[in-house]
Amino acid sequence: MSTGSLDRSPAPRPLWRRALTRKDVLSGLMFIAFALLGLWLSRNYPVGTAVRMGTGYVPRLLCWILLLLGGVILIMGLRAADAEDAPPPLRWRPLVLIPTALVAFALTIERLGIVIAGLLLIGIGALGGREMRPLEVAAAAAVLVFFTWAIFIWALGLTIPVWPER
Amino acid sequence: MELLSYLATGFAVALTPANLGFALIGCLVGTLVGVLPGIGPVPTVAILLPLTFYLDPTSGLIMLAGIFYGAQYGGSTTSILVNMPGETSSVVTCIDGHQMARQGRAGVALAIAAIGSLFAGTVSTLIIALFAPPLAKVGLSFGSPEYFSLLVLGLIAAVVLAHGSVIKAVAMIILGLLLGLVGTDGNTGGTRFTFGLVTLSDGIGFVPVAIGVFGIGEVIANLISPQQQRVVVAHKIRDLWPSREDFRLAFPAILRGTALGSFLGILPGGGATLSSFAAYALEKKTARDPSRFGKGAIEGVAGPESANNAGAQTSFIPMLTLGIPGNAVMALMIGALTIHGIQPGPQVMTERPTLFWGLIASMWIGNLMLVIINLPLVGLWVQLLRVPYRLLYLGILMFCAIGVYTVSNNAFEVILAAIFGVLGYVFIRLGCEPAPMLLGFVLGPLMEENLRRAMRISSGDPMIFVERPISLALLIASGALLVLIALPAIRSKRQEAFQ
Repeated sequence: MSTGSLDRSPAPRPLWRRALTRKDVLSGLMFIAFALLGLWLSRNYPVGTAVRMGTGYVPRLLCWILLLLGGVILIMGLRAADAEDAPPPLRWRPLVLIPTALVAFALTIERLGIVIAGLLLIGIGALGGREMRPLEVAAAAAVLVFFTWAIFIWALGLTIPVWPER
Repeated sequence: MELLSYLATGFAVALTPANLGFALIGCLVGTLVGVLPGIGPVPTVAILLPLTFYLDPTSGLIMLAGIFYGAQYGGSTTSILVNMPGETSSVVTCIDGHQMARQGRAGVALAIAAIGSLFAGTVSTLIIALFAPPLAKVGLSFGSPEYFSLLVLGLIAAVVLAHGSVIKAVAMIILGLLLGLVGTDGNTGGTRFTFGLVTLSDGIGFVPVAIGVFGIGEVIANLISPQQQRVVVAHKIRDLWPSREDFRLAFPAILRGTALGSFLGILPGGGATLSSFAAYALEKKTARDPSRFGKGAIEGVAGPESANNAGAQTSFIPMLTLGIPGNAVMALMIGALTIHGIQPGPQVMTERPTLFWGLIASMWIGNLMLVIINLPLVGLWVQLLRVPYRLLYLGILMFCAIGVYTVSNNAFEVILAAIFGVLGYVFIRLGCEPAPMLLGFVLGPLMEENLRRAMRISSGDPMIFVERPISLALLIASGALLVLIALPAIRSKRQEAFQ
């Protein structure tokens, strides 16, 4: 939607958009989405009978229950008065950068080793914070990578690559 | 007398230098992380879980239990000194504990919390030793239909007694059960919800889910919603020893808290949080002058602190004897046991007596250690509180990443943890408690297995669950709980209790 027009005057937003800020409405939709995804993924699983349950019996049963519960939660949310339970404003940086940092770590740890993967993790993770102090982050990264090495590789003796393989 | 010989076995295991050492490390590390702001026992245990996998099961579990008590204890310390509860079970400690600290009586508050915890820990350890064997016997006599109904009751009760919306929590359980089914179906060999990924054919790892939801999700939430300002009470902590008058007031409160906590901890969903809230309410009701509460009444610290420790301890009973986790920490314990190749349930006590009794003995030792180590170290813990979050979360991130990776040397699990981290934040944002999901997740395969067996026994007739008297009773109890919670009067009382 046109998020650019977030001006101060509270223009009367349409009902459905107000409803979409409610936790119950959103969580109802979330459960419904999970249930539908599950039902779709399990569409070809053999269901079997109650005596000889197939691969899909219990998963599909659970998905239907989840769909039902999600529907009830959604309706409860729609029927409730406009609540003050709107979540805090969303900040995208941490939500995107923290998982990105972990993914970067996962993609590099095996080939490039703990030093580079660790520095990447801390570096990208630090960008997700509220304030960025480069020197401090560099120091923290050095200390953390050292401690990780000391605990997991030196003390516990795990075989984790330290440097890039040649 | 059987009990004494069991306990002797247990102490023989727990008192070996190695296990003493692991208990000590667990307590220290648990306190260290638990003291850190914004990290309660659940994330602490989740983050530190991988550390215990390199030990043998007994030592690993002993260390994990130490981490749990340490984290619990660390939460009380921050409540008293900084007015910031590490987690919900020490919320009420803030009320009077922090007031005491402001009046310069922080040392006394910390000491009484420690003494109360130790007393409660001693009593509840005995209770576990007394009640676990008969309960496990009951558990062993259960067939699949009974066990299935017991799991249903356990999950429902966990939801009803916890705070938050019941229906959302039930939906979270179902979601957890579904996640638990990901992977290869042991009965038919078919794969489910694997998206064609080979790594998922063994199921979703327990560690990436736990660390993702409770570790990473929490970090994201803390970065998005600004942190509370922390003000460490600057008074020098002296006069640790409470006066005679303090003892006179606190001792009955410790007794009441211990009794209440021990009882509530056994209930699914009970555990430390419910215990401490209930104990505070009880103290306020029984006090001769209730107006003292909120202004630094020592009973307001002694009661809840004893209760939450007793509750934390006795919540091990259903987990150890029936394999049913009453709360998120116990779900983590079950996950840890499973990773060590132990199927939690009534058979653990008979099949692995040294593990079972060793753990129980080490609970008491851990409690003693906490008092001995922590009171002198309070100054050090306070220093830790000054670590700003912008550095802290980097450390958490590093530890989560390396912890998840090392569990199975599988980089994909780190990506899973990232995904569950985002999901964990979504749950927090939408007011969906992640704990019930974790309970469902660890119980999913067990429930399916028992459902299947029960249906095979009855040749597909679901009536088997109501024809067997024990199973019927358990299901009626679950239904009654759900109906009760729907009643307006009880619902409002419940909301009141959890604020």
